[in-house]
Amino acid sequence: MKWSSFRYLAKQGLHNMVRNRLMTFASVGVLTVCLIITGVAGLFTANMNSLMDYLGSQNLLVVYPQEDLDEAGLAQLDSELRSISGLLEVTYVSKDEALEMMRESMGDQGELFDVFEGEENPFLANYRVVLQDVSQMGEIIPQLEAISGVDEVTYPAQLPEMFVSLHKAVTIISVGLVVVLGFVSVVVISNTIRLTVFARRKEINIMKYVGATNGFIRLPFFVEGIVVGLIAGVLSAALVLGGYQLLVIYSVDFTGFMGQMIADILLPLEQVWWAVLAAFLVFGSLIGSVGTATSIRKYLKV
Amino acid sequence: MIVFDRVSKVYPGGNTALKNVSLHIKKGEFVFVLGHSGAGKSTFLKLILREEKATSGRVYVNGKDLTRMKEREVPYLRRNMGVVFQDFRLIPSMTAYENVAFAMRVTNIPEKKIASRVPYVFSLVGLSEKMDKYPDELSGGEQQRVALARALVHSPQLIIADEPTGNIDPELSLEMMELLSAINSVGITVVVVTHEHELARHFSKRVITIDHGSVIGDSQTHREEEVGEVIL
Repeated sequence: MKWSSFRYLAKQGLHNMVRNRLMTFASVGVLTVCLIITGVAGLFTANMNSLMDYLGSQNLLVVYPQEDLDEAGLAQLDSELRSISGLLEVTYVSKDEALEMMRESMGDQGELFDVFEGEENPFLANYRVVLQDVSQMGEIIPQLEAISGVDEVTYPAQLPEMFVSLHKAVTIISVGLVVVLGFVSVVVISNTIRLTVFARRKEINIMKYVGATNGFIRLPFFVEGIVVGLIAGVLSAALVLGGYQLLVIYSVDFTGFMGQMIADILLPLEQVWWAVLAAFLVFGSLIGSVGTATSIRKYLKV
Repeated sequence: MIVFDRVSKVYPGGNTALKNVSLHIKKGEFVFVLGHSGAGKSTFLKLILREEKATSGRVYVNGKDLTRMKEREVPYLRRNMGVVFQDFRLIPSMTAYENVAFAMRVTNIPEKKIASRVPYVFSLVGLSEKMDKYPDELSGGEQQRVALARALVHSPQLIIADEPTGNIDPELSLEMMELLSAINSVGITVVVVTHEHELARHFSKRVITIDHGSVIGDSQTHREEEVGEVIL
């Protein structure tokens, strides 16, 4: 196709949009809403994923052997513990090391712990266990507790369990939303284009008879559909990212445990904006073309 | 130019529009295809334009077998023929000039060529001074000439006129027929599809008569019948 022809056809497509401006406006609006909902779901999922990663790196279990366990029992426990699958790291921390770690973590006030030296040491020897996958925590804890000689296993409450199921739910809902809203958007765009196609059916018919190729006839409608998709994409990206940035800024003031965590976990805007914008533009123009393709077929059969 | 070889067309639903039609229109001929409405004329036209495919038999236009033609070749077939429709099919939002230029534009022809070719075809149909008028500012006869100009713009080897007298005054239709004769005289094949016996009779050209989907008369191959009809 010649450049001049392409320019002519693209101009025809834009002209259609202006002529059909009410419908263009309506479909940009509906599509923008669909994309915003999809985008919010996507960002929520992204943040959930990052939270999962964060929790994954925090998945420290502490296994306390019974205090009166002898050398042989400890050796037995050690080998049983290390034979459990799904553990990334197993580190033994002796009483002295435990005290030393505490002293270090207290910094300047570390010398307060000097009195606990030797026999007075209240800290217990323990194993620090890091899991490969935090979602396996529920299965691994009973295994650890079943080892003979283990006194207690401590772990970060039930938080991971909750997040694992929440993460699953959010992922399913997000995928569902993308599918449903994608479908709705295709129908909306396809209706808009159908209107233009209907208004221009005479021209299409004439084009067919004077020997225009289908590609040539379709192009203006594709331009229209894709431009509607792109406008909605840019618009919704701006709104979603603007809202997100506000959330990031205001989350600093959030209080309470959850609030603090949200503030800590939220991905910074710089890390997400390009992905959101690119996804919206691709999604928008894809929906635009699919919508156009489904609406124009009938009139090309001449 | 146009060959029908035992062509039948049955539409989905069982309506038989053409039955075992064979005919041959040679290059440079001027032919009337005559028939009542519903006789099968429109189907005949649609088969030539490859808007429909024959159910059986073969249709050749310009040596190409349309029954085997691929969908994407159809546009190029149509660039070799010009059609003047009964209802003209002009785009009301475009001037006469734009309507003709449109046919060239949508077939990928550069602007420069359009700018020189369009005024030329308007001069052929004698409408040079009305190029900038919109269709509703033109009379029926003038609109038809714009449609003819559009049909001519691709320098086709075949011109098809569908009921050229249907929507205009009898006087003007004569003018139109003269224009078509002039076009024919430079070697372009002309097929006029009509239901008007008088029109076909007025010119001493070949007349193919279709009725109930069959060719019931061809003035060229069945002279005797014609003669008999005149005597009776």
